[in-house]
Amino acid sequence: MLRSDTTGFTFGCLLPEPEVPLFGDFVKAPAQQGLTEIIGVIHNIVIEDDLFVRQLIAAPDLPDAYIQDQRRNRQIPIEVSVLSVGYSSGNTMIQGLPPQPPVTLDYIKRCSINDMIAFTDRQDYLALILNSKETPVDELIVAALQRASGARPIEDRALFLIQAGKELARLLSDDLSKLDSILRRIQVNT
Amino acid sequence: MTIESELESIFPSNKDDPSNLGLRLGIIVGGSLSKGLTVKLDAGELPGSMIEQLAVGRYVVVQGLTERRFFCIVTDVSLEHTNPSIESNPPETTDIYTAEIYRSTLVYGRANVAPMLVLERDSEEPRPVKTIPAHFSVVSQANEEDVARVFGKADDDHFYIGNPIEMDQVPINVNLDRFIERSSGVFGKSGTGKSFITRTLLSGIVKSGKASCLIFDMHNDYGWAIKNEHGREYKGLQQLFDANRVNVITLDPETSQTRGNRHDGALHIPYDAIEPEDIAMLAGVLTLSEVQVNALYFLRRRLGRKWLRKLLSDDEHDQTELDEFIQQGDLIKGTLGAIQRKFEIFRHMGFLQTNVREDLVETLFQKLNSGISIVLEFGIYGDNLPAYMFVANYLTRRIHHRYVATKNKAFGHQGDEPNPLMIVIEEAHKFLDPEISQHTIFGTIARELRKYNVTLLVVDQRPSGIDDEVMSQIGTRVTCLLDNESDIRAVFSGVSGASALREVLARLDTQQQALIMGHAVPMPVVIRTRDYGPELYAEITGGESHDIQSDGEKVAQAKADLFG
Ligand SMILES: Nc1ncnc2c1ncn2[C@@H]1O[C@H](COP(=O)(O)OP(=O)(O)OP(=O)(O)O)[C@@H](O)[C@H]1O
Ligand SMILES: [Mg+2]
Repeated sequence: MLRSDTTGFTFGCLLPEPEVPLFGDFVKAPAQQGLTEIIGVIHNIVIEDDLFVRQLIAAPDLPDAYIQDQRRNRQIPIEVSVLSVGYSSGNTMIQGLPPQPPVTLDYIKRCSINDMIAFTDRQDYLALILNSKETPVDELIVAALQRASGARPIEDRALFLIQAGKELARLLSDDLSKLDSILRRIQVNT
Repeated sequence: MTIESELESIFPSNKDDPSNLGLRLGIIVGGSLSKGLTVKLDAGELPGSMIEQLAVGRYVVVQGLTERRFFCIVTDVSLEHTNPSIESNPPETTDIYTAEIYRSTLVYGRANVAPMLVLERDSEEPRPVKTIPAHFSVVSQANEEDVARVFGKADDDHFYIGNPIEMDQVPINVNLDRFIERSSGVFGKSGTGKSFITRTLLSGIVKSGKASCLIFDMHNDYGWAIKNEHGREYKGLQQLFDANRVNVITLDPETSQTRGNRHDGALHIPYDAIEPEDIAMLAGVLTLSEVQVNALYFLRRRLGRKWLRKLLSDDEHDQTELDEFIQQGDLIKGTLGAIQRKFEIFRHMGFLQTNVREDLVETLFQKLNSGISIVLEFGIYGDNLPAYMFVANYLTRRIHHRYVATKNKAFGHQGDEPNPLMIVIEEAHKFLDPEISQHTIFGTIARELRKYNVTLLVVDQRPSGIDDEVMSQIGTRVTCLLDNESDIRAVFSGVSGASALREVLARLDTQQQALIMGHAVPMPVVIRTRDYGPELYAEITGGESHDIQSDGEKVAQAKADLFG
């Protein structure tokens, strides 16, 4: 955890990792001394440059083997930004901004399949995503729904996507072209 | 505490047995008492399908906030959306996903419902609405219990005449007391089932003994067996009731005989009993001018009781007598000629006779007053409108006169009052047209309500031809399909809030469906009229029926009664 505020947080990690974070993934971070767990969706991944990379790029005629070695073995720092969409408190999942952001240096985990299913059982988080300013909102929604739908058994997916679609339609009732483009991509991507 | 349970403690939801509620349809989103309520339909199990199941004319129940239940009738349905650009950019037909989502959110069905009755919290008896349900009250399909509660049970006073559309198990009953209390009407285009529903109603009234009926049966629809266009045979009233309840009198014994119709007597009218008033009403159909009508009164005055006979006579002596009026300048030759020409038609009325043994009017009055209904069969005269109108007018004037006298004599002594009488006429607009209804006996009867225990049952396919004033006195209106705008307007005249039902009326099936509204039903109702057939016969005749007395015997007995 590097930085955080009410609407989201940013954490860093090193590449490669066993689990590479992906755009649209659901993650969770502890807050309020472990009383709550904040749930968020990854909306931005930044690979930081550093001095060493700059030098490498500047150097002429680097042997290919060298570059491969760098890629495989060098620890590249990446910065992952998360949009907070809810939190869990005890056994209940709440969709909405958490009362407190996570504290720095806390450890961020990816949501388990069960967490994801439980959290996306209701669709109120879609409003939070739609309202966020900084992200490519449409893409993020499509990716998040793809993840949430993928977490479910195949027979449940259609119903889930219908419910999500209905919520989107309610939220975007006055922006039909946006709604239409999201719905179309949901169908293609999931 | 969850949010829901918190809300529940603040606003306890209705603890009514949920099984009591029919399928939920939607919620109230607007409207008014006068214009009806707007219902936003739920998307439903199969999104958007609700609208296809909600037929105009159906009943719905709105559960109000204050435990009032409002009974409403669906008057219109429409397709709505929340965003107009959906009309220009609808989802692709192949895009089932988007379409389903739209159908459950951005587009919706809307129903207009007219509130009719309200069932207050602890009351069993529904009352006419004076309030409307609050915003977002839940609307559900009326279930069979609801409808049954509104229309009550069939008993001695309530006669089963049909079922609401798609509720075959729920009987709709008309309150017979109220049906005969004021004049009633059966309307509808040709072939929509007027005669059948009239016959059903008549059988119920005769069975109840609440009134005698005097039926001017133009098309031989009510007396003896009737064949429909598919050759199926239906029983007439005479076959359902014994001679103590129904007698058939014919104007045309020959045809009745050859058709095998049994009758209990023939009607003859003596020329000398006819008064100008009996004919004045025919001015329209005979195209008599005012001058010519006035001449009739003159002739009656000068020629005495034999005036009509003399007018139609070929006898030279009579002709001279008439010519004298012309010479004296009392009559213009042209007028007399025109009258004589137009009166030719009376020569073809075989029931007009010089010598009639008995005063049938008095016999008929006695029968009607003692509870026997009379079907007057016209035979070949059915197609002769002047004959039909003449006879109906002739008899009604005299019988009404007898009723007035009897009623006045009774002077409040219940026991001496004449037995209620309902006079049934077809082609009623010819009798009740605004031009003449002021002066005719039928207009009088309709207007004086039941002052003298006489009311009308008018059967008509052109209600727009009936005087508005008369129409507004018609208490119960049974209306089959009508498609002419002015006819539709006419049947709703004077019915408050009924304009919402116009759509309902215009959408009736072409046969055997009717909208009933007014005095005899607690709220307007669209029914599929009860099959006129064995089941009804059995109910009317009380099971194995009157076969004990064969039809032949019955006729013999009636004849004996009638002609001594
Ligand atoms: N209650 C009913 N039971 C059985 N058949 C019916 C019923 N109502 C209507 N029908 C069918 O509809 C046909 C037409 O009905 P009906 O003769 O009563 O029409 P109408 O309105 O009196 O027509 P018109 O104006 O020509 O006299 C009947 O011949 C019969 O086949
Ligand atoms: Mg008829």
